[in-house]
Amino acid sequence: MKGRHKVIVQNNRLHYEFEVKRNITIILGDSATGKTTLIDMLRQNMDLGPDSGVDVICDVPCAVLEGRNWQAILGTYSQSIVFIDEGNAFVGTEAFASAVKASDNYFVLITRENLYNLPYSVEEIYGLHSSGKYQNTRQVYQEFYRIYTKPGNNFRKSDKLLVDKTAGTPFQYGKKAESCLSA
Amino acid sequence: MLNIYLGEMEGAVYHPPVYFDNRYEDEWLTEPLAIEMVKDVDKSEIISPHLVQSPVLGPISVKELSGGVKTLMLMAFDKSGKVFNASACGDNCVKWILKIAEGKELTINLRHIMDFGKGSFEAKILNTGQVVHSAREFAEIAGDFV
Repeated sequence: MKGRHKVIVQNNRLHYEFEVKRNITIILGDSATGKTTLIDMLRQNMDLGPDSGVDVICDVPCAVLEGRNWQAILGTYSQSIVFIDEGNAFVGTEAFASAVKASDNYFVLITRENLYNLPYSVEEIYGLHSSGKYQNTRQVYQEFYRIYTKPGNNFRKSDKLLVDKTAGTPFQYGKKAESCLSA
Repeated sequence: MLNIYLGEMEGAVYHPPVYFDNRYEDEWLTEPLAIEMVKDVDKSEIISPHLVQSPVLGPISVKELSGGVKTLMLMAFDKSGKVFNASACGDNCVKWILKIAEGKELTINLRHIMDFGKGSFEAKILNTGQVVHSAREFAEIAGDFV
């Protein structure tokens, strides 16, 4: 899948609106900002459609992936945006990283963990803004820590960011974060 | 005293919110500490052990509280001896983790570099045995494990 995809998820109380631009998007941030509520609403729409009372407006299908059978379920999705809530430990596995690499879906992952198997852009890390308007997203750039790659992968690091040699794009590559306190 | 085990920890509860939903006790919700934490983190008011008033969602059940505040309550009140994954908590839960650890020996599992803020605190990193006193000291060690 390519390009940008605007996503609106809403019911009478909540309105989420954001754009997914790359194959991996990370949502993190404070507790009680509506991350899991977003997943719950997407799941309800996925299960019941319009009868759920949840509107999901997007030019491609949006799906929630969870549970032990994630591999089999993921195999049924194509050209979709796949949302995964925190609590799904499989997102940190090599099996998931391989599945992402072979997939034509976009993935939106809710997690605070460093996903050292997955290349993702520091520019695609978001938080859900909780002050004032519960539903607004804002981009979060984690300046507090610089994260470096594990050795032996097909990546190199630059002074500021890590670069995917195959794509030439900056990305964040998890484990063994070197603390780099900006303060 | 706060004890932190960094990275994957055998036996730790990876996703505490689900554990909370199935194991919480009504009495926890009437504890002053629980009332304060829910008010601060979720901006919500505990009306009774079965009802919470959320400014966004309206009247909700305890099971609709945030994953962060559920994890905090497990840290504070659970007697099972289990260690909970504090990476279910956002940075707005940090002050409460430190407060809970003031009153008891609290061991948590962390799988990300939590921002402990600018103040001083004391925590023992169980992976190395080192005691840290600031976010900087914590991050310098945590970077090797998460």
